[in-house]
Amino acid sequence: MTAASESASGHRWAVADLWTWAVLKWVVAICIAIVAVFPIWWMVNVVFAEPGAPVSINPRLYPTSFSAGWDKIMMILTETQYLRAYYISVTYALLTILGVLLFGSMAAFEFALFDFPGKGLLFGVVMLSLMVPTAVTIIPTYLLVADLGWLNTMQGLVVPGLASAFGLFMLVQFMRSIPAEMIEAARLDGASHFQIYWHVALPLSKNALVTLAILTFMKTWGNFTWPLIVAPSPETYTVGQVVGLFNAPFSHQTVDVVMTANLLAAVPPLIFFLIFQRKIVEGIAMQGSKG
Amino acid sequence: MRNPPHPPDTVNRVASMSIFKTSTACLALLGSVSAAPLMAQTLEYWVYSDFAQGEALALQQEFVTEFEASHPGVKINISGKGDDDLTAGQIAGAASGTLPDVFMNGLAVGAQLVEVGALANIHDQWMAMPQAYRDQFDKEAIASCSPAPDEMYCLPYTGFGEIMFRNLTVLEEAGIDTSVPPATWDEWYAQMQKVKEAGKFAMPDQTQVFNSVASTYAIVGDLDGWGIDFDSKTTRIQPETYAKVLQLFVDMAPLNSGSSRNDQGTKDLFITNQLAFHVVGPWVDPTYKQAAADSGLKYDFVLVPGMTEGQHGGIKSYEILGVAPGENQQIAWEFAAYVAEKEQMVRWASLLSRYNGNAASMADASVAELPLIARSVEAVKYAIDVMPPYFVGAYPNCYRSIVTDNAAAVADGDMTPEEGAEELVAELNDCLAE
Amino acid sequence: MAADAPPPADLTGYPMFTRRYLPHYGMVLPFLLLFAVFFLYPIGSGLFYSFHDWNAATDPQFVGLKNYQDILGSRDFERAMGNLVFYIVMTVPLGIVVALGLALLVDSFTGAWSNFFRSAFFLPVILPAFLAATIWRWMYAPNFGLVNMVLGWFGYPSVNFLNDTDTMIYALIVVDIWVSAGFNMVILLAGLKGIPADLYEAARLDGASRLQQVRHVTIPMLAPVLFFVVTYGFISALQVFDVPWLLTGSSFTSYGGRRGALLFPVMDMMGRGFGSVRFGQAAAYGFILTAIIVLFTAAMFALRAWRAPK
Repeated sequence: MTAASESASGHRWAVADLWTWAVLKWVVAICIAIVAVFPIWWMVNVVFAEPGAPVSINPRLYPTSFSAGWDKIMMILTETQYLRAYYISVTYALLTILGVLLFGSMAAFEFALFDFPGKGLLFGVVMLSLMVPTAVTIIPTYLLVADLGWLNTMQGLVVPGLASAFGLFMLVQFMRSIPAEMIEAARLDGASHFQIYWHVALPLSKNALVTLAILTFMKTWGNFTWPLIVAPSPETYTVGQVVGLFNAPFSHQTVDVVMTANLLAAVPPLIFFLIFQRKIVEGIAMQGSKG
Repeated sequence: MRNPPHPPDTVNRVASMSIFKTSTACLALLGSVSAAPLMAQTLEYWVYSDFAQGEALALQQEFVTEFEASHPGVKINISGKGDDDLTAGQIAGAASGTLPDVFMNGLAVGAQLVEVGALANIHDQWMAMPQAYRDQFDKEAIASCSPAPDEMYCLPYTGFGEIMFRNLTVLEEAGIDTSVPPATWDEWYAQMQKVKEAGKFAMPDQTQVFNSVASTYAIVGDLDGWGIDFDSKTTRIQPETYAKVLQLFVDMAPLNSGSSRNDQGTKDLFITNQLAFHVVGPWVDPTYKQAAADSGLKYDFVLVPGMTEGQHGGIKSYEILGVAPGENQQIAWEFAAYVAEKEQMVRWASLLSRYNGNAASMADASVAELPLIARSVEAVKYAIDVMPPYFVGAYPNCYRSIVTDNAAAVADGDMTPEEGAEELVAELNDCLAE
Repeated sequence: MAADAPPPADLTGYPMFTRRYLPHYGMVLPFLLLFAVFFLYPIGSGLFYSFHDWNAATDPQFVGLKNYQDILGSRDFERAMGNLVFYIVMTVPLGIVVALGLALLVDSFTGAWSNFFRSAFFLPVILPAFLAATIWRWMYAPNFGLVNMVLGWFGYPSVNFLNDTDTMIYALIVVDIWVSAGFNMVILLAGLKGIPADLYEAARLDGASRLQQVRHVTIPMLAPVLFFVVTYGFISALQVFDVPWLLTGSSFTSYGGRRGALLFPVMDMMGRGFGSVRFGQAAAYGFILTAIIVLFTAAMFALRAWRAPK
């Protein structure tokens, strides 16, 4: 008796609960979405507004002049080194991705699937490096790159970042799940060691490789400090450095021009995100759940 | 802490590094000076980022083209750098032996650049110039570059004496007669309070950056009480004088906008008639001029008032042209000397309306009549140096942060000005003793 | 490529040993070579410099532990560590609570809306850090910044978020969470999807409310993922640099904002290197930070090992 009535009231409760929850979650989700997206929307509005109007007068809740924004974008693309910086940054990112994937996957293939003397020690040392803050190595690495005569060169930007311990870790985690039988079967078919890596392990790790590529892209694109010291010449300015010129405290550019430069830096990752959205999200998710 | 003017290690290091630079390796200058080297030489020329944009860049390139034409085989690459990147890049370059050959930077970082071997002693080259050339420059500015009789590290380039930009609309709305600028601190402070009563901001927050603290110090005066005595490793600041300075921060605390004088937001407030006074260098003028044309901003610039009439506050400093030690030093010097020469400085000053250390160019009729320059020339006479003495020692970072933190603490009411001044001197001396 | 040789099966003996393992070493060699040259060597020389007084121009002078002592005894180190501890204690748990909340929220939607909200919440993650900081400097501007405008609607006076020592660190934490919550959300979301539906079913049959389900089913099942997120979040929080640097408009000569309220160890380290030209001290600073990270990570793993057998 008592049990039945209790369960009935619980049920009624649950229905009310369900309703409030359904409404509330929409409200909350929409509010958070606004908080997440609005600052970016604001930046777009600053760009697409009449030039010179101070932000304090017009808080830029919506864009007011498409043509003014377009003019600013064209001005920056034609009158500054922005296009070349795009080229440098994209090349820098692509070469880094290629190298990180190639060297990382070759090493991960061994560390994940085979045994050889010294493996534990080598892998352990590489993993320990994950705990060293990047800032520790930046100055000695810079000096090394200078000794090699690589300042202001693409190899100076790219090569020191290729041995990515993070990438190796990720790929090893993933490749561990490749069944040993598949390797064995390929070997019985007469495949060489390298062929097994190339034709069996790599195709099976496609998802992990794509994820790593995306994460590497985001990291390289946002990297500011390393290009700043290793490639100080304007011929090798990355997008981050060009934007830095606009952001400099004594720059007498107005806010809208500064924001245009910033917005243009956000465009490639935004496009990248829109295209690869699903892959990015799945990839990052996988990285965490494997840890 | 200090190094001899030509640290031998640096020279060796630069030489050993150049092995990697195939093209320029062999022809080291053996002390002899040849005016027109036959071998191709490339000079890296670093300038402030705002000088590497638009019309300023075009004029700099004109100088380069002219110099290249008269010096066959020399090629000069201009790179624009943000203020901070200039120093970081030079320090990193000094560590690796890849320095820019000719560069601009602030007078205040000069000692640091000498310390790391990025800045060459140009005394002999300077003395070898004709008397007429040397006489073009402001004597005091040259003195700032020359810490000892046979040492000279820079050519003064653009510079500034601080001036006070006044938003006339704000002042008029507050019922202030703008025809006569305030002559003393008391008059000025009375105006600030009226501005506040009218619901506007009087000043930016002057405690936030070292230069604005220095600028406030200059209102109280006593030029000898600012800076560091590097021999005894103590600050020159006297607690009694400094307590008066701190009192000014306390007075201004309720009236300020909360943004620093360098914030873009501060300029924004000024342009939108929310801020009455902006004590700063002349580099904000282009922004304000633009706003005057776009939105009808009404402003002028006057000398910063001092405590008593006839005396004025504000700081002064120079951007410098420096030359790196190494095999390109001679040709780099020639280029620097060319850029800093009167004729070029006249063109530069007319384009940007910026004060510079070439006194002859400032006296040139076409330049002297520019209002911003006229005011700057006057301001420099009264202003104090930001970080004296130059090229004697580097200001440690702790020194600057202690000064701003202390001003902020007193303005926040955590200490009285007297306590603050005592504590400041003690902390600064601790910092210098390290 | 040398690695092409097929490894002969179970053969021992010295030359065979070489033949057998050569392909493996061949494959790891490129990575390890790069790693040795561009990581181990710099670390080694950094360690060397950390015991020397070195300003890049003169030869390094051996000073023993002086660099370490100078740092540990300095006012800025004390302040930076104080800020860091407060920041970590706030931002790591808060970040995870927010991320978990977002993940649960997204998980409660289905189909296109779920994707939409997930993408929206994730968007800030893809912006370069310099951009996020630049935008937020304007959002936080006193008087006319957007945040103050919204506060104004509700009748609150303007707050100088980035210049009031009472609010600065919270302003940073908000930006930090804005930037990173989407990243952690996605990881947690995957963890949520991995929880078998029958566990919830069982809890529901036991009469557990929604909140109780979260507490007794979701969180325990997410523990491994949470472990990753906490450890990773801690390691990155310890290295916090570019966002506070840009929010305070720092430069190498002056950094950390008003009264050093946003001074953090990596900023202090960069300032000692490129501002004061004490490369030896900067190197020593890096090793102090590394030691802290190693200790913490070890503690986290020990904690996990201790809890696991229960």
